[in-house]
Amino acid sequence: MKSLGNWRWNPVKGRYEDTLPSPPQGTGEISAIDAFANKTILLLGGTGFVGKVLLALVLDRFPELKHLVVQVRRKKNVSGEERFYSEVLQSPPLQAIVDRMGGEGVVREKVQVVEGDLDQPLCGISADDREKLKGKVDIVVNLAGVVDFDPPVNESFQTNVYGVKHLIELVELLDAKLVHVSTSYVAGKKDGRIPEDTPIVGYFPMRDAHDGKQFSVDDEIHWYEQFVEETRATRASNARPVRERLREGGMNRADDWGWTNTYTYTKSIGEQLIARTPGLTYAIVRPAIVESSLRFPFPGWNEGFTTSAPLVLMGGGGLKGWPVRSDGPLEIIPVDLVASGILIVTAAVLCGKNKRVYHLASADKNPIMLPRLVAFLGMNSRYKHKHKTSGNRLANWWRAYVETQVITVKLLESRRQRLHRGLDVIHATLTLGKTIFGDGKVGRHLNRRLKSLRDTRRQLRQQEVTLDKFLPFMIHNSFIFETDNIREAAGMLTNEDLKRVQWDPETIDWADYWVNIHTKGIEKWIRPMFMK
Amino acid sequence: MLICRCHVRISSTGQPVNIPACYNIRRFMNKAAFYDLDGTLLSCNLVTTHAYYARNERNMLKGAYQFAKVLFSVPGLFVTDLYSRSHFNVVSYAAYGGMHRDRLVGLADDLFEVTLKPSIFPGAQDLVNLTRNLGYRNVLVTGTPDFTLRPIALHFGIEEVICNYLEFKDHIATGHMHKPVLAADQKAVAIREYAAREGIDLRQSCAFSDSSADVPMLTAVGNPVATNPTWRLRRIALRNNWPILELRETPSKLPPFLRAAKVL
Repeated sequence: MKSLGNWRWNPVKGRYEDTLPSPPQGTGEISAIDAFANKTILLLGGTGFVGKVLLALVLDRFPELKHLVVQVRRKKNVSGEERFYSEVLQSPPLQAIVDRMGGEGVVREKVQVVEGDLDQPLCGISADDREKLKGKVDIVVNLAGVVDFDPPVNESFQTNVYGVKHLIELVELLDAKLVHVSTSYVAGKKDGRIPEDTPIVGYFPMRDAHDGKQFSVDDEIHWYEQFVEETRATRASNARPVRERLREGGMNRADDWGWTNTYTYTKSIGEQLIARTPGLTYAIVRPAIVESSLRFPFPGWNEGFTTSAPLVLMGGGGLKGWPVRSDGPLEIIPVDLVASGILIVTAAVLCGKNKRVYHLASADKNPIMLPRLVAFLGMNSRYKHKHKTSGNRLANWWRAYVETQVITVKLLESRRQRLHRGLDVIHATLTLGKTIFGDGKVGRHLNRRLKSLRDTRRQLRQQEVTLDKFLPFMIHNSFIFETDNIREAAGMLTNEDLKRVQWDPETIDWADYWVNIHTKGIEKWIRPMFMK
Repeated sequence: MLICRCHVRISSTGQPVNIPACYNIRRFMNKAAFYDLDGTLLSCNLVTTHAYYARNERNMLKGAYQFAKVLFSVPGLFVTDLYSRSHFNVVSYAAYGGMHRDRLVGLADDLFEVTLKPSIFPGAQDLVNLTRNLGYRNVLVTGTPDFTLRPIALHFGIEEVICNYLEFKDHIATGHMHKPVLAADQKAVAIREYAAREGIDLRQSCAFSDSSADVPMLTAVGNPVATNPTWRLRRIALRNNWPILELRETPSKLPPFLRAAKVL
């Protein structure tokens, strides 16, 4: 008789196993605890989604650390320090950790806040603070960046390119090492497995297709300065808003080189700036799409709209046709694993045993295929609308019982056209009716209908724009990022370290994660903000 | 032999519980309250669960076919249940065969809202709270598979469950359970092993069940309670001088098969 063991789900094999999960074993080549002992880390971008979780993780797991210096940007009248203690420490992921540590007083001993801004030279850190930090900071971890996919090109360049220039200046001044967080999608429009050892300097996604073409960071900066100047100079003669033209210019330039959007294009330039700096000890961490936390600080923590939150909210809203590749995975990775990965890399850099690039992703060992996600979105919509008592009953029935489908881009386009044609007809009928009935009771009623039709159209357009932004990750390309380097780094840690930080995306039960953790996390943390 | 046990996340998206990890409160609790689920805390059985999944198939035609299959299997299941609870389990789990695990996990919350929540007995939550407040570790011991159990355990605030696990092959259910299937004697075995591992004193512990199939589980502890007992268990309880507890507002005279049909 087989024993009733500690059953656990093996997501890779797709079955339950009754073997006890063996604790992760490391070779002990490097020790994170020793690496962090009596060291000082300067953290940039600690106020963001990943930043807060990283902050919480390092405070919770590595009390050996001497000091943590956090750079926080001033916001209008609120100083960086005030922002840190009122905004960041009061945020849900840090609250419990601070309490556990023994209150704010203990945090004040461990953490030093400096005001600064990546957009300013030397990251905007004052001369006084720089003097204090000189020779004391061992490593700088940079999480700051503009993560919008298609902002006006100047916004993206300012932080992701010039910001990195300022960062390098600061790191050289402090004589520290650098861990820079970028994105896996700097790979651009590519398919299949993306290795970690591709040369960084001079990289552009279409290099294989264009043998003779060269990519140079200096040329890009030169192009950018010229483009912004020209665009602004023609403000009077061109009717289109400058902001829109800057947005479009960035996207077009990115597309010419083979990147998916301005974000990945500028992030890649930032990486190349770091890689070409002589004498700099650095590691570049490239997370995939960062999602709700799996375990730490509690399951389901999420913040902001930069993740797949818009897709989940749209799915919950009843979108049925999803243009995704049926053979491709979605490269997602929980935020706490990203934070653990960054800490593992930081330890490796401090010990001098690091590689240059680390992908933090899940699909090479434990992929979650897109059609499975589409089915989850449908089930969530069913659950939400089945029990809904408000709203149109027929619409609720449709959203609850019609299953989500995987569709092609062509079908999506034709569906959109049909929908818009239908709305045009309704619009024309209502307008005609309004003209006939004038300002009477019927006319007023028709006016109200017209207004709600306009709202519906605006919502639809928004939905279309959001969906289009995600198309590169869902249908145009299918990426699998190789993660051998982080696996190797985690394997070098001691067993004691591995009790504090793990790298184990192969154990994620995607069904449980998506249904019980991620979707519920988004409903709890993101929807209220979205509704506002 | 080890027992199967999983910790169900209680605050999966809620605020973290402010108890330092080193404070293992459960360490000081050396008595447990073991609960059977079906018929004890709620009046829903496997048939209604299968009927739900059949109705919520992706393909409506296939759903109708599956639903008809469940309906036709009911009399057979009733007879099997009368003969042996473990045989009944084996036969009824076959209905899961061919289903993708994603669907079973994804629809669990809806299944709970639709079929399970309305059938919770009025006094069930109070009883669970009472045993917790009296210092018992609440444990669900049931044949229901883990994914169905999750929302139920969350609802009652029970953190520990001993349950069955469906066998899957490449994410698709084979229609079998991992052996040994948790029913009748196996429940008692599992409880004893759980107690040995967790340092639980079984003489101080209590168990709640409605069915005579669970007599081994009830006799394994010092304080068995026949809860909403079937006529067979009522007789055994009276003979052994066990307390009898009614959580239903009006005790149902219907056999389990007809009780399930009522919910359908």
